[in-house]
Amino acid sequence: MHSILAVDDSASMRQMVSFTLKNAGYNVVEAVDGQDALEKANTRDFDLVLTDQNMPRMDGLGLTRKLRANPKFKSTPILILTTESSDEMKQAGRGAGATGWLVKPFDPVKLVEVIRKVVR
Amino acid sequence: MENSASGNPPPAERVPFLVAADLQNDLMTATNDLDRLQTLLSDACSTLQRSFFGVWQGLEQVDAPVLAGTRIHLGSAVTALQFQDIASQLIEHLRRRLRHCTDRLARDAMAEDEDGAAALEDAPLRPNPVTQAEMDTGFVELF
Repeated sequence: MHSILAVDDSASMRQMVSFTLKNAGYNVVEAVDGQDALEKANTRDFDLVLTDQNMPRMDGLGLTRKLRANPKFKSTPILILTTESSDEMKQAGRGAGATGWLVKPFDPVKLVEVIRKVVR
Repeated sequence: MENSASGNPPPAERVPFLVAADLQNDLMTATNDLDRLQTLLSDACSTLQRSFFGVWQGLEQVDAPVLAGTRIHLGSAVTALQFQDIASQLIEHLRRRLRHCTDRLARDAMAEDEDGAAALEDAPLRPNPVTQAEMDTGFVELF
């Protein structure tokens, strides 16, 4: 079973993401912000990281850069799921090493399709 | 020179003290209302989510064909239930803008008050992160 690290400071979003992914057959570990995610990522492996952008302590771009600097996560898909939809932010995501950019609110069917596409 | 160096307008350009006090009061009321709205939204969303998961658990006992028929509705509910996160970010951005206006008024009206200047809350540096005007599904772009 593939493991996904779901990162969001909003408890309601974490619940919706976890619900969607668990029903699609994934094992989901939740983190409340980038720093929490980084600590969890250091203790175990994940097949994909799905992260919010705007969070306290460490945002999604910061988390992406930190993970990409770690050889263990060099090729792990990282998707940013956020309210931000500007080209500028998307480019920043691409520059940080993200695999894709998803704008909230997500459609559960589409989210699972995208994850199946990028998780091997 | 003294005023411009401290970032305060000269006395002639200052908002009259009583007007500033009234405006401040209105802005603080609006800010407090936003805080209440944030709490109401959070409570309502928690209840909706609990109900949603309760219904879902009940549906797991239902025959597969019936469940398949409700799947599209459940998917729509998952999308709609994300409103609290989006609304919360919008409210927080607005709250910070109002707070900045309140502090700015106080600083301008009571320019000599050094504590007032020090307490000025920064305006949000970035545009509002929430651009959504409705709860349509957002786009997906793979790099």
